[in-house]
Amino acid sequence: MALIEGSALNAERVGIDLEHLSKRYGDTVVLDDVSLHVEPGTVTALIGPSGAGKSTFLRCINLLERPDSGVIRVDRHVIEPGKLVTSRDLAALRRSVGMVFQSFNLFPHLSVLENIVFPQRKVLGRSREEAQDRAHALLSRVGLADKANEHPGRCSGGQQQRIAIARALALEPSIMLFDEPTSALDPEVGLEVLAVMRELADEGMTMLVVTHEMNFARDVSDTLVVMADSHIIEQGDPRAIMSDPQVERTRRFLRAVLER
Amino acid sequence: MDLVNAALAVVKGLPLTLLLAVSALAIGAVGALPVSLGLQSRHIVVRLLCRLCVDLVRGIPIIVWLFVLKFGVVVGTFKLDALQSAIVGLGLVSIAYLAEIYRGGIQAVPRGQTEAAEALGLSSRTRLVHVVLPQAFTIVSPSIATYFVGLLKDTSIASTIVVAEMVFQAQSFARQNPTLAGLLPYVIAGGLYIVLSLPVAFASRRLDARLRRAVV
Repeated sequence: MALIEGSALNAERVGIDLEHLSKRYGDTVVLDDVSLHVEPGTVTALIGPSGAGKSTFLRCINLLERPDSGVIRVDRHVIEPGKLVTSRDLAALRRSVGMVFQSFNLFPHLSVLENIVFPQRKVLGRSREEAQDRAHALLSRVGLADKANEHPGRCSGGQQQRIAIARALALEPSIMLFDEPTSALDPEVGLEVLAVMRELADEGMTMLVVTHEMNFARDVSDTLVVMADSHIIEQGDPRAIMSDPQVERTRRFLRAVLER
Repeated sequence: MDLVNAALAVVKGLPLTLLLAVSALAIGAVGALPVSLGLQSRHIVVRLLCRLCVDLVRGIPIIVWLFVLKFGVVVGTFKLDALQSAIVGLGLVSIAYLAEIYRGGIQAVPRGQTEAAEALGLSSRTRLVHVVLPQAFTIVSPSIATYFVGLLKDTSIASTIVVAEMVFQAQSFARQNPTLAGLLPYVIAGGLYIVLSLPVAFASRRLDARLRRAVV
């Protein structure tokens, strides 16, 4: 079974269009007129120094953060943050977009299986049997079939993050957002998670990944986006940017990361 | 002989002590939920109103509430009797204290939990009922138990408005035996309060340990 239901052939390929997003907290500008287009079926890696606005930018896409201005187009959904967003619009948007967090955020009071089953029942109205079948299938896909009845707290960080990915995929999103998915993991464990993400990318999932994993950014992503000081300062082919950055700020950042 | 009589007198009050404590806790446990949500409401009017009520109820001694309820509530021919006043009064106070405990528990649930639930597209009601409240309950259950042990002892205040619970019974025994034997029922009542609170403390530690094992 593939990670994406139906996979490659008939998978719904959906892109993202973000136009002129701006966001400030009080006097601090977090995003300053940032625009980005993500082609359906591609992987975009978002890198840059901390405080650049990467996470905020990502969180604007499913409106965990509400930008002050700009337009968000995801799938058939168009959201203009300045205007009133109804809870129906919000629900529809979030159905199309799955998200994985740095801190996993599994529900600690539910078993691993129930973490994946319960959102399917609430959001998609699936029957218990159907949701369980899907959950078991996804768990074995991420290599954790034997963890179904465990509590998340008994799983390692890498396992928890793979469960979190399965939980998001169970709702069949057409886009996946990853907010530093391996930053809380030690390097070896991070590899398990990256392997799952790589597979997902191969199956044609549209992905936007905030990361410090330069190898993943170079080898897996189709587009590399460099953010600094609330702006996108450079974007394009990952190998080209990494070997020959055009902007001094990018050069400085890459040197710092790659020399580590 | 005095000892047996004193014990018999105090035990007569035991059912009412338990009734008061359990019913006040039940009223408090249920009533505190909407109030604790009100304390965190986005609407400033709701928030301030709930804050005002909670602080008012907590700021006035229980004994004053009981007198106000017993002698101050007259609607036509309707009046609260002593037991009703005590249950309503202790219930109100429990709502106020537990609302504050609940609020703390809800706010102690990590932000990431709500965010993950939001990102999954769960409705605000589902987020509250299935994600936040179960975790908040784990956090507050020891505080609820502590509050209940305190409440158990506070039921003795109902003796002042002539509810025949344990301390009231002890008092009437003492009045009839104005010798040193008059002290006996108070000692016995004190012992009973301790005995009653032991299982609560024990159950709470068990529950707490179990919930924590499940979570961590």
